[in-house]
Amino acid sequence: MNIILEARDIRYKYPGDREAIKGISFHIRRGEKVALVGPNGAGKSTLLQMFNGMIRPSSGIMLFDKEPILYDTKSLRQVRKRVGYVLQNSDRQIIAPTVYQDVAFGPANLGYDEKAIKNAVTLALRHVGLEGFERRPPHHLSGGEKKRVAIAGILAMDPDVLIFDEPTSDLDPLGSEDLMELLDELNQEGKTIIISTHDVELAYPWADRVILLLDGRILQEDVPDIAFKNPKNVRMAHLSVPVLLELSQELEKHGFVQPERKPRSVLDMLEIIKNLVNQSCSQTGTGIITVCNVDMETDVSIVKYIESQQYLSIGAMGTRAKQRAMQEKLTLDFTYGVIDKCILRALRGLDSLILTTNGMVDRVFDRVSAYCNESGNTITVIPINTRDQLIPSLIKEEN
Amino acid sequence: MIETNLDYIAQQSVFRYINPGTKLFLAVGSLIICLISPSPVVPLISGIVLSLVLLIHGRLSPVLYGKVLLGPVIFVSLSIMVLLFMLGGGDVIWWFHPVPWIDLTITTGAVRESFLILCRVFGCSISLFFIALTTPLTDLFNGMKRIGLPIELIDMMMIVYRFIFIFYDQAVEIWQAQVMRLGYSRPGEAVRSFSMLCGMLFITSWNAGEDLVSAMDCRCYNGVFPVLDLAEPVKIQSLIPVILFLVGLIGMLILIKLG
Repeated sequence: MNIILEARDIRYKYPGDREAIKGISFHIRRGEKVALVGPNGAGKSTLLQMFNGMIRPSSGIMLFDKEPILYDTKSLRQVRKRVGYVLQNSDRQIIAPTVYQDVAFGPANLGYDEKAIKNAVTLALRHVGLEGFERRPPHHLSGGEKKRVAIAGILAMDPDVLIFDEPTSDLDPLGSEDLMELLDELNQEGKTIIISTHDVELAYPWADRVILLLDGRILQEDVPDIAFKNPKNVRMAHLSVPVLLELSQELEKHGFVQPERKPRSVLDMLEIIKNLVNQSCSQTGTGIITVCNVDMETDVSIVKYIESQQYLSIGAMGTRAKQRAMQEKLTLDFTYGVIDKCILRALRGLDSLILTTNGMVDRVFDRVSAYCNESGNTITVIPINTRDQLIPSLIKEEN
Repeated sequence: MIETNLDYIAQQSVFRYINPGTKLFLAVGSLIICLISPSPVVPLISGIVLSLVLLIHGRLSPVLYGKVLLGPVIFVSLSIMVLLFMLGGGDVIWWFHPVPWIDLTITTGAVRESFLILCRVFGCSISLFFIALTTPLTDLFNGMKRIGLPIELIDMMMIVYRFIFIFYDQAVEIWQAQVMRLGYSRPGEAVRSFSMLCGMLFITSWNAGEDLVSAMDCRCYNGVFPVLDLAEPVKIQSLIPVILFLVGLIGMLILIKLG
């Protein structure tokens, strides 16, 4: 992976105030999911605003795509086109009186013609699941919808890097789950995602890498299970150890054998517990995970397929998949962490159906494959249109 | 609260997706006819018909409509009471001399004139409310651009329209926080609380202004504020009733003038 953003010994002092950033160096690779975690006042938002040139460091260099960020108007426009920034408060980010105008704001200012603006807006709104909202004024939207409009406004400019300042603040748990799902979807499409948060439970399972910040300095920078592993650092940063990690640490202290990798999800934890009680596979067989790509026409009707199955659970990954579920009037059992939840069901011998979008199909196969390789279990994943020619072998028959 | 209700009603209106130009033609046309009518009959009929259209076809709640009309009704009632005593002509109907230098008299001419003014205000107000209750401001911005209003003015109006609701919500939140802590329990306290509310709103607006600049910079602001050009085309099935209605009013006007 090549480096897309880099900070070299940057410092920043607010006028007449204390130093907010005290010599930070790090880099972010293309396609990474990075979480800046720290307490209030740690300098997360200040740091994020340096990524697209909103704040100029007092000293040190910020690099984008291996080139130092220049602060003349032309260079800043280039950087801001490629590094999108979503503010914490969507109300402050949405500036136009209608959803369409707000999403069109970026493309219009980048000089797109009328047709290109319309295309960009349509694509961005489809991406965030707000088609048909074009004429709605922002004050008639819910908090989650406003956040999506703010994201669509940035997506319409087609940036390579997306920065989110406290993305789930002001959202209810379901809204937060939906948003994190959307971030995964965007990352799957190749976007580099950087978030700031003080929610360790959110950052721990989601991020590829965590940067712990405290008082304008990097306290630790590593993969989440290492970054949150040291209770002293975590306490110093006014944070708490994620529950799953704490549980595995306690099991370790009690003398149980631990795998090399710490649990990042309920599924990982289940595997550890199963290994502990030495019942690696108590059931006679595993369930089947059927994948339905909602972006492709299939010969099989989803509703008919569901009706033909007993004890089937349905999960949806991605905005369009959730919209399709709504159109088909399906009750979804899982909307977040869908693959892991379906694997858990499969281990209990129960079948599941995952509705998903084009870009996410491979992710289902890859995740199940990775799990099967690690655990030695065998779970069958098949596309819905080959359901009738079911072969109970491992996975990824179609690839 | 009524300001937010008006916007909400307009957004939800059955007539929302009729061409804004057609609705403006109806409202402005009836408004002019009401204004120039020498008889109270024309504005009265115009107001009643437009109200019925809003209530029956537009499925507007009568209670809500009543609340919307309450403001103008109070204002007009007070004005008419003054006009009754100020205008003259015709026979004296009622008089009152509480003290020698005050002469309160109501004449037939004053009643006639006051009733005409009352009906005109009724007809004109309802014409304006017809636009306010069926056409969100967002639909009018495009029209403003087409008729050649300066783009800077329209941009400012759009930003004001966007932020007015945010500041309104914040003002309500601050006010509620003050009321919860008995901020308006005594007159002196009320003045102090209100001044604090204004101060807080000013600071909030200042911060919001800075955030607005940041948000615009983030999206490469270069002086372009896009306008939503999704207005519905003029449709014959909505234009014909409007023309028939206005022609009917003009016909009545001519008949009254001739007779």
